[in-house]
Amino acid sequence: MIYRLLWSWLFPLLCVTEQGGEGAAGPPELPNIVTILSGWLHDNVVVAFLHHWENVFFAFVVGVTISMLAYFSSRRATLIPRGLQNVMEAVVEGLDNFFAGILGPEGRHFTPFLGTLFLYIWFMNLLGLVPGFMSPTGGVKGGYNITVSLAICVFLYVQFTGMRRLGLGGYLHHLAGSPTSAVQWLLVPLNLPIHVIGELAKPLSLSLRLFGNITGEDVLIAAFVGLGITALSFTHLPMGLPLHVPFIFLAILTGTIQALVFTLLSTIYFSMMLPHEEHH
Amino acid sequence: MQVGTALSFALPFAVAIAAFGSAFGLGRAVSAAMEAMGRQPEAAGKIQVGMIIGCALIEALTIYALATVFILMGKIS
Repeated sequence: MIYRLLWSWLFPLLCVTEQGGEGAAGPPELPNIVTILSGWLHDNVVVAFLHHWENVFFAFVVGVTISMLAYFSSRRATLIPRGLQNVMEAVVEGLDNFFAGILGPEGRHFTPFLGTLFLYIWFMNLLGLVPGFMSPTGGVKGGYNITVSLAICVFLYVQFTGMRRLGLGGYLHHLAGSPTSAVQWLLVPLNLPIHVIGELAKPLSLSLRLFGNITGEDVLIAAFVGLGITALSFTHLPMGLPLHVPFIFLAILTGTIQALVFTLLSTIYFSMMLPHEEHH
Repeated sequence: MQVGTALSFALPFAVAIAAFGSAFGLGRAVSAAMEAMGRQPEAAGKIQVGMIIGCALIEALTIYALATVFILMGKIS
């Protein structure tokens, strides 16, 4: 913990020595290992490839980390869990109960997808606060790719679930606004485009919300790091005041809340698509 | 007037108006949540979760304006 605090204080040193890490035009960004590598090795093909796809690279890093966590926590699974297995079981059970509370008892079928979505987005958002890494979901250049791909996954799975649970006819009936009376049947030409546009607007809003929040937080932290360096620039030392530390706490909060909101909205889209039960 | 000049004038206004609108909406949401928590302190946990989610949804609209600024910022000069 203290090591991490020291590292985040020393990190402005890297910012000053690697001026090429910040974007020349556009909002400021903190350098990460890929941009530092591409600052040192300009013409390497591998480094240029990594720099072009740095969001996908860091998303891969997060995926590998979560997979290793899952593997090591379930390797010698005991009936009474201790240690890492205990923590992971608490997390999984908490998420399971959360989704079952919204979707009903058959909602546990969706816990793998939604739980993985939550943990993946949460870890990706928090990765931007580790010095040397960036959030794959943020970053002005490529962050929107990651969020829109997650939103498209949710969109396709929701539509597929609707088609499978309701049948194709029931799915179209649901898209037309579930008309039961003659008046509602007459309003179908109005309801159908509205529902279709509403369904298409869901992944758009999901992706834009996550992307904008995380990019905004990272740009804020980078701007304050720059301010801290400017504050001490008269000493000509390669150091800066750690003015960005309060905003790291804000970024932890925002990252967690945005992961929760993404997952919760996906859960609500599932519950709207599944046949409604009348007990609450 | 060039594109860059017009954008430099309009983009800060976009974020400012979006921030003003979301401050208004968030103030209403949080004040309603606080009042509900005061009336029934034992339901404070559920009210708090709902408030956080509502605030995130309201904040998203401000973030749309910020995302538009990010997209258009490259066109300034």
